[in-house]
Amino acid sequence: MVSITDLNRVAACEWEIPVSYRSDMRVAVRLFASEELLQEVTRDKSLEQAVNAATLPGLMSAVLVMPDMHQGYGFPIGGVAATRYPEGVISPGGIGYDINCGVRLLASRILHQEAAPHLEDLATTLNQYCPSGVGTGGRERFSTREVEEICRKGSQWAKTAGFASDQDLRRTEQGGRISGADPRHVSSRALKRGSGQVGSLGSGNHFIEIDLVEEVFDSRSAQVMGLEEGYLALQIHCGSRGFGHQVCSDYVKSLQSAVDRYGIQLPDRALVCAPMDKPEGEAYLSAMACAANYAFANRQVLSHHAREAFESVLAGRVKNWGLSLVYDVAHNIGKIETHNIDGKDIQVCVHRKGATRAFGPGAEDLPSEYRKIGQPVLVPGSMGTSSWVLHGTEEAMRRSLGSCCHGAGRVMSRSQAKKTIWGEDLRADLAEQGITIRAGSMAGLAEEAPAAYKDVDAVVDTVVQAGIAVPVARLRPLAVIKG
Amino acid sequence: MDVKTGGFEEVAHTADLEIKVWGRDLSSLFAAAAEGMFHLSGIEDYEEGFSSITEEISLDAMDYEGLLILFLEELLYRLTEDYMLFEIYQLTILDNFSLQAKLRGTQIKSYQRDIKAVTYHKLNIHETEKGYAVNIVFDI
Repeated sequence: MVSITDLNRVAACEWEIPVSYRSDMRVAVRLFASEELLQEVTRDKSLEQAVNAATLPGLMSAVLVMPDMHQGYGFPIGGVAATRYPEGVISPGGIGYDINCGVRLLASRILHQEAAPHLEDLATTLNQYCPSGVGTGGRERFSTREVEEICRKGSQWAKTAGFASDQDLRRTEQGGRISGADPRHVSSRALKRGSGQVGSLGSGNHFIEIDLVEEVFDSRSAQVMGLEEGYLALQIHCGSRGFGHQVCSDYVKSLQSAVDRYGIQLPDRALVCAPMDKPEGEAYLSAMACAANYAFANRQVLSHHAREAFESVLAGRVKNWGLSLVYDVAHNIGKIETHNIDGKDIQVCVHRKGATRAFGPGAEDLPSEYRKIGQPVLVPGSMGTSSWVLHGTEEAMRRSLGSCCHGAGRVMSRSQAKKTIWGEDLRADLAEQGITIRAGSMAGLAEEAPAAYKDVDAVVDTVVQAGIAVPVARLRPLAVIKG
Repeated sequence: MDVKTGGFEEVAHTADLEIKVWGRDLSSLFAAAAEGMFHLSGIEDYEEGFSSITEEISLDAMDYEGLLILFLEELLYRLTEDYMLFEIYQLTILDNFSLQAKLRGTQIKSYQRDIKAVTYHKLNIHETEKGYAVNIVFDI
């Protein structure tokens, strides 16, 4: 087990496990954490998992771990790793089963005090319009042909189907459509699972949340994003549902033999991988793009339903009930990007597992309005706590492969949370704080209790101190819909 | 083989779910793993018996760990797609890492938790004094 004494301090909030720590490491591990958070991260196996990830062939820079890190399987959650494209490997376990799990933020011109009398109604209607919960699919079942179209086109499909605007697409990471997505690399089981789940939230830590923009820290950036103190905003957190889970499961299985074929030694089979210039790696990259596009489309359809819910409750009661997309970011994904590593521009596959892309100003993939300020970085907190909107920095491009934290990060196991926290009590506590909850299951609610997570403010403070993001606004939850 | 001589217990994991499973032989280990997974899915109560639907499945893999994952994923797929819960009443595991199972299924109305996947994380079926044991991490 990695202990604090194994870490070398390289900057105020940055620590390194040197490549000499274990003989099979190819690169170092660098983690972003305050001294306080460091105590928490050494309690579970996340650092050992980061050391394991540092053994992957083709790594071009240190494996990074964000301050919201916690133990996962294979890679730690909060891990970022860049492998050389195309000779390096891609690892499905370094991306996760919920491919392109991500979050989007929508801004509004709805004043909190105007909406306050309708918030209960709004929560109920959102819950009705946006299907959620264990085993609950979307409002519509799509044919296999249609799912294949979703795989290929992502949010572009959603636009053609009437679920998205041009601005929605512009303000989604990579336009909501990753190229190279070929559904022939996706199993019939995945397509079948995907057919009934477009536009559904799922369960677990996924949510839809109505927030109040409580405090703005960078008024120029906030203005560009359409965020203003006192107004409502909406967050949607979910991914590629059973479709993505099936794609990942299929490839974790099929790549087991590829590892032997290419003579790759791994400390954990959950890290199974294949070179991206070999048929197995190419196939996964393409299937992953399908699942990522599916997830973009999923969040887009949910946004459409949320807009309908807002219209149904607020039309005639407030002046402007529209929701305008601020940004949509993936936090479980592998992206082919060009980064300047050791003075050279190199094409790499950046695995982000529980980490958000956080490009600085000037990045080409950003829409023109964000190219000036840097990419919006969305860091949802746990259920009762604040969420943060940040923007990426040039420093992030230099130090964190244009990546940042993705949330608060768990500290307590689900079973422990259920033992110590009673769902009904939690709901009452949150109600007292003015937070309305619509939850499919009280046990599920208890598992997601704020006490099971790190303090999101401390996590955000760390990335800000490290210089990889700048705070724009803090959001306070008003109503949470959970499956 | 005797599928009733195994057991499982939940192990604390920060974000996902982990169970420790044991069995007198591989068949009972696999059956106990399936029981543990269904337990995690939150389907302990079901009204009807397991007589209505009988199915046979055969699977093969490169090793026992791979076979265990295939087996659990098969059951998981049927649970989430078809709402079918299976009791394993005959299970044969061969040295060439293949498996034949006779299952009795029942239709369920709901389950409490979505399991995204059965992971390979530190998956290692090992021999113990009393038979076999394995820890399995489920992504949820």
